[in-house]
Amino acid sequence: MSAQSDSSPQPEAATAVSIELKDIVQEYPASGGGITRVVDGVNLVFERPGINMLLGPSGCGKSTILHMLGGVRPMNAKTPTSGKILIDGVECHDAHDDSVMVFQRYSNRPDLSVFDNVAFPFRLNLWKKRVPEAEWRKRISDMLESVGLADKRNLRPSQLSGGQNQRVALARALVLRPRILLMDEPFGALDAQTREEMQLLLIDLYKERPCLVVFVTHDVTEALVLGDRVIVLSPQPAKIADDFTIDVPRPRSTTWQRSEEALQHEKRILAQLHKAPGKGTVRVTV
Amino acid sequence: MAGANGMNGFWNPYLSPPPSQSRALGIGSVVSVLVLWSLLAVTGLVSPARLPAPWDVVRAFGYLAWNDGESMLFIATLWSVGRLVVAGILVIVIGIPVGILMGASQRINAAISPLVDPFRSAPVVALLPILVMWLGIGEAMKIGFLFTGAVVYLIPMVRDAIQAVPQSYWISARDLGATPWECIRKAVIPMAMPRIADAIIVAFSVMWTYITVAEYVNAKVGLGQLIQNARRFSAWDQVFAGIIVIVALALITYQLMIYIKRRLYPWETQL
Ligand SMILES: Nc1ncnc2c1ncn2[C@@H]1O[C@H](COP(=O)(O)OP(=O)(O)OP(=O)(O)O)[C@@H](O)[C@H]1O
Ligand SMILES: [Mg+2]
Repeated sequence: MSAQSDSSPQPEAATAVSIELKDIVQEYPASGGGITRVVDGVNLVFERPGINMLLGPSGCGKSTILHMLGGVRPMNAKTPTSGKILIDGVECHDAHDDSVMVFQRYSNRPDLSVFDNVAFPFRLNLWKKRVPEAEWRKRISDMLESVGLADKRNLRPSQLSGGQNQRVALARALVLRPRILLMDEPFGALDAQTREEMQLLLIDLYKERPCLVVFVTHDVTEALVLGDRVIVLSPQPAKIADDFTIDVPRPRSTTWQRSEEALQHEKRILAQLHKAPGKGTVRVTV
Repeated sequence: MAGANGMNGFWNPYLSPPPSQSRALGIGSVVSVLVLWSLLAVTGLVSPARLPAPWDVVRAFGYLAWNDGESMLFIATLWSVGRLVVAGILVIVIGIPVGILMGASQRINAAISPLVDPFRSAPVVALLPILVMWLGIGEAMKIGFLFTGAVVYLIPMVRDAIQAVPQSYWISARDLGATPWECIRKAVIPMAMPRIADAIIVAFSVMWTYITVAEYVNAKVGLGQLIQNARRFSAWDQVFAGIIVIVALALITYQLMIYIKRRLYPWETQL
């Protein structure tokens, strides 16, 4: 994002972005010495705005891949071990400001109000230079309106429900108008009804300002409700097991969710997930 | 859901009794000690030379509080509090930045912690002669001693407060575009503030316990000196009165600081 493009709204032009993962391999030091290969030669290309769902058995390396895209590096290993990540054709080595992440465990600051949580990035030097205060205040007001927290702006996270907390996290990410939005099971800790509300909210917000979303989930229904594209990873070490598109406008009705097409997609995903020996959750160290 | 009250919850670390019951238990035990103390004095089981009677202590307190047109106790308190405040400011101004730097960088910690951590368990009192040698026997030495005694507790506590901030806040701030130093300044330090406040509170408690030692050498006036002086004349009732004043002041300081901390960081209890 260049300095100028942000102060004047140029929605569509600013959101075009491409990500390319080339032969990504990730190895971590294993607990009993030696190394574990977690990601084993993943190649992926994302070329246009869209919601890309990333599924795979537990522990297969979904978060690892997502963190790589966001440039969030674990302290104990080089990421990726080998391979390249290109953003708009430029190799990315470190945290970069094209992407913003939303985590499952909300990262909202308990000491800050809803407003200050969302305003946090704009008080950093990087964003201070890019967005004048009057503009970001306006953006935040509009965003809090969109996520339904306008009347909660002065409350602290502990005074909000889990769903409202994730709305804050989502607002903080989207108010920056990122070209890439990375979500790691953002609604995974919510109850079914709240999760559905949040999915609809995401669909609304996405329509207003499409960007490249990579969304990790273990919920097959969520993938079907949200995804333009569904990528299924194999059990650890992760490879691409399946990759297909769902060309159906959102929001997708419950009727569609029960349609033959949806059921076929569901079967297709489950077929890959169930291949996982032991589903990857139980690991025995000998 | 049986037994929220009464003896049913006796062995239960998570069940608090009604406040009135807690208060009654606390007052009860203090009163019992006073009664026992009075009995020992009245029956003459322990000689007054070893244990002054409670009423003698009260009388001594009155004498110290007002005699011959001046209040020895008030002046002594002012001096002691003054020393404590000066030392406390130094502890905060020097100790907190050092602790924060140690918490913020494992390398700084590795370099400085061998110089600080051992003193937590070392007899700081043994340093007094050295401080006398370096700083003389005036105010500098007394303040230096209080400072040393407290700062060796505060620094590690501040460091631990910084390191206790969950890494997820760091990662999130980094992701949003903060530089490492911005993460420390705008995310980690604000999140560590309640525990840093705890460190300040502990530092002041420690200084109250050291005040008598600090004023042991050549103090012209101060609560420690007052006790020291009374002891020299075997005025045990005054020694007791002086100790009780110090304990009371330490307690008031503590309660006041806890109150301020709760007002400043109301979110902390919900962490
Ligand atoms: N920094 C690290 N050091 C060592 N091992 C790691 C590290 N990060 C992840 N791993 C290991 O890599 C594997 C994949 O982890 P990852 O978090 O990417 O899985 P995931 O697919 O997101 O799982 P889940 O569905 O449970 O969130 C796991 O076995 C994990 O233990
Ligand atoms: Mg994960």
